[in-house]
Amino acid sequence: MKMMRHALFAAAFCALPLAHPATASAGAVVGQPAPAFNLPDANGGQEALSSFKGKYVVLEWVNFDCPFVGKHYGSGNMQKLQKTYTGKGVVWLSINSSAGGKQGALDATKASALVKEKGAAPTAFLLDSEGAVGQAYGAKTTPHMFIIDPSGKLIYNGAIDDRPSTDKADIATARNYVQAALDEAMAGKPVTTTSSQPYGCSVKYR
Amino acid sequence: MRKETPTTGWVLALLALAAPAVAGPPASKHVQASLLAEVESLQPGHPFSVGIRLQMAEGWHTYWRNPADSGLPTRMTWRLPEGFQAGPLQWPVPRRLAAPPLMSYGYEGEVLLPVVITPPQTVSPGSEVRLAGRVDWLECQEACIPGRAELELVLPVRAEAPRPAPATATLFHATRGLLPVPARGWDLKAAAAPGVVALTFRAPQAPSGAYFFSDQPLVVDYPSPQTLHRVSGRHRLDITRAANGPTPSRLTGVLLIEGAAPLAVEVDVPVSQLAAPPGAGSVLPLAGRGLGVVLALAFLGGLALNLMPCVLPVLSLKVMSFVRQSGQESSRAWRHGVAFTAGVLLSFWLLAGLMLALRAGGRSVGWGFQLQSPAFVAFLAALFFVLGLNLFGVFSLGESLIAAANLNHERTGLASSFGSGALATIVATPCTAPFMGSALGYGLTQPGAVSLLVFTALALGMAAPYLLLSLNPRLLRLVPRPGAWMEGFQQFLGFLLMATVVALLWLLGREAGAEGMTRVLLALLALGLAAWLYGRAPSSGLGPRARLLAPAAAALLLALGLVVGVRQADGGGRPVGGESGLNWEVYSPETLASLRAQGKPVFIDFTAAWCLTCQVNERVALASSEVQDRFRREGVVALRADWTQNDQDITAALASYGRQGVPLYVVYARDPGRPPRVLPEVITPGIVLGALDEALGDARTARGLTSDITSPQ
Repeated sequence: MKMMRHALFAAAFCALPLAHPATASAGAVVGQPAPAFNLPDANGGQEALSSFKGKYVVLEWVNFDCPFVGKHYGSGNMQKLQKTYTGKGVVWLSINSSAGGKQGALDATKASALVKEKGAAPTAFLLDSEGAVGQAYGAKTTPHMFIIDPSGKLIYNGAIDDRPSTDKADIATARNYVQAALDEAMAGKPVTTTSSQPYGCSVKYR
Repeated sequence: MRKETPTTGWVLALLALAAPAVAGPPASKHVQASLLAEVESLQPGHPFSVGIRLQMAEGWHTYWRNPADSGLPTRMTWRLPEGFQAGPLQWPVPRRLAAPPLMSYGYEGEVLLPVVITPPQTVSPGSEVRLAGRVDWLECQEACIPGRAELELVLPVRAEAPRPAPATATLFHATRGLLPVPARGWDLKAAAAPGVVALTFRAPQAPSGAYFFSDQPLVVDYPSPQTLHRVSGRHRLDITRAANGPTPSRLTGVLLIEGAAPLAVEVDVPVSQLAAPPGAGSVLPLAGRGLGVVLALAFLGGLALNLMPCVLPVLSLKVMSFVRQSGQESSRAWRHGVAFTAGVLLSFWLLAGLMLALRAGGRSVGWGFQLQSPAFVAFLAALFFVLGLNLFGVFSLGESLIAAANLNHERTGLASSFGSGALATIVATPCTAPFMGSALGYGLTQPGAVSLLVFTALALGMAAPYLLLSLNPRLLRLVPRPGAWMEGFQQFLGFLLMATVVALLWLLGREAGAEGMTRVLLALLALGLAAWLYGRAPSSGLGPRARLLAPAAAALLLALGLVVGVRQADGGGRPVGGESGLNWEVYSPETLASLRAQGKPVFIDFTAAWCLTCQVNERVALASSEVQDRFRREGVVALRADWTQNDQDITAALASYGRQGVPLYVVYARDPGRPPRVLPEVITPGIVLGALDEALGDARTARGLTSDITSPQ
C-alpha cells in the first residue's frame, strides 16, 4: 500500500525542475522602496536620495547626444516640465550614466554648461559615470523616467510619454506619463499608469 | 530627328520595362533604403509583394517591430494610387543585439521587409502605377540616428499574371525562409507565475535551443537568458518576466528553435495563471490538465486523510457512532451519514473561507495555520480531554451508549453526527495527506469559487467512507450488535483520545514552553474536576440548579487558565527534532542561496511540531543510519525550516514549490544550475537515498537544455 502510494507520487511529480529565479538586477520595482543613492552633482556637491524624503522626486536619465532627448529638449518640453514641477516643490534630478569615453559622457563642467545652454531647470544634475545607480534602477534608455513619492516608494517607471519617436511634432498629441502621474499623486489619487516601456537611445553603460 | 523619335521612344520604353523595379535614393551614410518589387508587372485585382530593403553599414543596426530595451521599429507610410491597399510590414526573425545590461531585437547587414500590395480591379492594363512612400527607421551603432527615405517604384499593369523579377527573386525567396510560420501542431501553451512565464510546445525536431521574441512591451525581461527544459515529450521555455509589467493575459511574438534546421513560428496564445513557477510541485501539470484532475486528487487526498495520524484518534468517535447506529433501525443510519458529511463539509468551507479571508487581508497563512496558535492548541487539548473523560464514564452528555440503543434520540443523534464531522475536520487539518498537497497548493491560489470546489472535494473524500457505510445497510450488519462489550470498548477509545491530548500538550510545550504547558495542565485538572462534579450532580439530589454550577465553575477556571497561561513564550519553542543525529542548520533564503553558490548539495526539511506526518517521516526516514551516513559522506547540508509558528519566509518558500503546508522535502544537487527535486509527502529511507543518488550523480544525467546567446550573431 505504502509503496504503491509512493509509486503514484513518483508518477505525479516526475521531472520537475524549478524555474530559475528572476535576475537580481531587475531594476526598481513600482510599489517598492526606490533604491538609495548618493551621487556627485554638476556643482561639485553631493546629493543623496534620502535627503529628499518627504518630497516627490523625479529621476530623468539624460544623454544630450541622443536624438530622443533632443526631441524633448529641442522643443522645450523637458524644460517646461522641470520648471512647472520644481515650482510645485517636486525635486527633479537629471542623471547621466554614460561611461567615460562613451557617447554623452559628461564631467561636472560640461554638465553645468549644457544645463545652462539648454535652459534646463533640474533641482540638480547628477553624474553616474560608473553606472551603478542606473543599473540599480534598471535605467535602459535616455530618456527613462522614475517618480518617487514622499515616503520613498517608486510610483512610476517608464517612458516620458506614449509616442516613441524622435519627431518633435509628436509631443503635442502625446500623453505625458510623468505629468499625469505627478498630477494624480499630488492630488491624492492613485496613479493610473505606473509603468510603460521606456523609449530612447540605450544608456551607455561601461 | 523625327525619324529618331520612335527609336528613342522604344529605347526609353525598353529601359522602363527593363528597369530593375528599384527606386529610392539613400537617406543616410549608414543605411541605404530601397523599395523592391518581386514581380515585373501587376495584374488588376491580384495581390503581389514588394519589399523595403535596408542595407546597413558594418556595425550599424536597425530594429524589429518590438525593438525591446531601446530603439525604434522601422515604419512605412505609404502614398498609393486610388484603390490600392498595402498590408502590414512582414518581419523576418530578428537577431538578438546584446549590449549588456541591455538587449535589443533587430537586424544587421541587410534586411528585406516584404509587404503585400493589393491593386483594385479597376486599374487598366497598359498603364503604369507609381507606388511611393516614406520609410522611417532608427539606425544605431553606439550612437543612434533617425533615418528617413522617400521611396518609389513604378510598375506596368498587364492583363496576364506577372512574372517574377529575376533581379529580386533570390532575395525574396531567402527572406520568405526567414519569416515565422504559423505554429500548426505545435500545441503551444503559456502560463504565467510570479517572475516567470513559461511557454510549452511540441517541436517537430529536437531543438538544441530556443528563444522567444515578445512583440508586446512590458512582458519579458529582455536581457535575461531563457532556459529550455524537456518535460515528458514536450519542451518548456522559461522566460523571465519584466519586473514592472502587469500579468500578461496573452503571449504574442515569435518563437525561434535552434538546431540542424532552425525554425521560427508565430506565437499568439492565451496565458493561464499559476501560483508558483512552473515545475515546482506539480502546479503546471495540474493547470494544464484542468479542474477535473485537481478535484479528483483532492477527493483522494480526503480519503487518505482518514488514515493520517491526526485523524486516527478521532476515528474512534466515528466508529462509536456507527456502533450505536447499528443498534437502531438501519434505515435511519443514512441520515447520520449525511449529517456527518454535512458537518465535515461545513467545517471545511468555514476553514477555507477563513484562510482565504486571511490571505486577502494580506496575511500569508498555509494549511494547518490554526495549530500555530498556542491558544487553539490548548483549546483542542481541553476538548479532547473532556471527550476522553466522557468516554471513561466520568460524566454523561445525555447519550450514553446503552441508553441510546433503546431511546429514540434522533435529533440529538443527528446533531452529534454533525458535530463529530466538524470535530474530525478541525483535527485533520494539521495533516497533509498524499495527493492533498498539490491539490491544495493549486486550490488555495485560485479565485474563491474554484478554491471552494477543491475544499468540497477534499471534504467529500474524507467523509466518503462513513457516508458509504451509513448508506449501505448491509455493511452495517458487519458491525457487531451493541452489548455489554461496548462499555469496555468505549473506555479503551477514551485512552486513544488521551494519547492525542498528550501529543497536543507536547506541541504546546514547543510553542509556549514548559510554563504554558503547565498552566494548561492545571486548566485540564480544573476541567476534570468540573466534569466529575457534573457527572455526580444528579445523584447528590441538589436539584437542577446545582447541575449548572459545576460547569460554570469549570468554564471560569478554563478561561482563566487559557488567558493567563497560554502565551507564546519567546524561545519557548526549541528547534524541532535534533533526535535524528544530523547537524541541522536553520533554513533561510540567504543560507540556501549561499550554499548553492558554493556548490554544496542541500536537503531541506520543511516541518512543524504540530505536523504529525512530519514527525513520523523524520523518525522513519531521516533518522535512519543509512541516510545519515550518506549525508555525512557526501557532505549534504541539512536545512530545517521550522513552520511550527508563523514564518513569512517559510510560507513564501513553500508557495514557491507549489505547496501550502508541510511536510515538504527538497533536494538540491551540487551543480547550481540543476533544478531541485521535490520528494513526496510520505518518505522512506529508500526515497531519500534515491533522491540523493540522483542529485549527486554526474552532469550527464542532467536533463536541462539551455539557450543563452549573449552576443550578436
